[in-house]
Amino acid sequence: MTENKQKEFEIRIIPSSISSLFTDDVEHQTLSPLSCLIEYGTYWLLEFDLPLVNKKDIKITSDENSISVEAKLKETYFEEKFGRKAEFEYFKKSISLPGKIDSKRITAKFEKGRLEIIIPKTTSSNKITIN
Amino acid sequence: MKVNKKTSQENILIVGFPSNGLIGTFTISYLIHALDMKQIGELDHPDLPPTLFVEDGEILAPIRIYKRNNIFAIISDLPFDPYLAYDFAGLTLEYCKTSMIKKIIIVSGMETINKDSNAPKIYGLVTHQSLEETLYTNQISKFLAGSIFGTDAAIISVFRKSKTPTLILYAECHPFFPDPEASIVSITTLAKILNIKIDTTDIQKKMEYLRIQRRNLMDETIRTLQQQKIENKPRVPQIYH
Repeated sequence: MTENKQKEFEIRIIPSSISSLFTDDVEHQTLSPLSCLIEYGTYWLLEFDLPLVNKKDIKITSDENSISVEAKLKETYFEEKFGRKAEFEYFKKSISLPGKIDSKRITAKFEKGRLEIIIPKTTSSNKITIN
Repeated sequence: MKVNKKTSQENILIVGFPSNGLIGTFTISYLIHALDMKQIGELDHPDLPPTLFVEDGEILAPIRIYKRNNIFAIISDLPFDPYLAYDFAGLTLEYCKTSMIKKIIIVSGMETINKDSNAPKIYGLVTHQSLEETLYTNQISKFLAGSIFGTDAAIISVFRKSKTPTLILYAECHPFFPDPEASIVSITTLAKILNIKIDTTDIQKKMEYLRIQRRNLMDETIRTLQQQKIENKPRVPQIYH
């Protein structure tokens, strides 16, 4: 692998997957962050992995159907795309929300480069009689 | 699948492949770097996606074998499904026999979304009683109850039937995001078991970059793991974007 002990730790970067070629926006220097949406009993947890980002540089917006996150990187990130060195300055992604959510009670927390958004479910329900 | 082996010998094998949090990938690649291990061979399989890496003009396969003194390492840069995992495990065992490897250590990640981010824990699972003492002397909590599925399960089930004892180290990590921070725990634990000194400053300095750089591999790994979950049994409804 490497002959040089002084060489800084580098791990091989897997070639960009087909999906990332479409989700990352080279022209607008925007990366698509990893995210996941997990359902719990009374809420949904939406997480974004935002390394190289400061809390003050994150903007979260939402409407009834989606949540969007934009964040400026602390420093320019370089990555090989289509055989060329591309520069990235931002993360940006929109996620469609499941139905029956209480959008007024959404909260967010940012720690160690991970953004956690708690999306409470609405609690309205109809009583069903047992025969 | 075949082994392209340039040399053989010695007795401890460490294994890492993409799984939860990319723990195995980070840990083994860092050990290879820190110990300045030399590549001595590679594993090949016709069903692997046709991917090669080029480094300093040299063509490298995605699954490679490294060696330094009595420590051997096998690392995969590509995630594989359980079917390939069975072949991978079988071939690894074959390699262990020819290289007189007496102990295998696999490093992987344990899905823990709401872990205490300040202190990720590590758990050990052994296939043979002879390794129980290794857990005890290195103060590694035993993985007492839970389920293992997909690639990890395929590999462990092959190893537990073999004569070569295997220890599986599971570091608590975020399953969907690259987790180099949790990898540091497995690097230090592995170093303790191997009785070597490893300075983790280098990986600590690069954690944020590694998370961005490895997001494509994480993405590919999640797709593979999610597919396995769907094929095995539906579990908690987790949606990955």
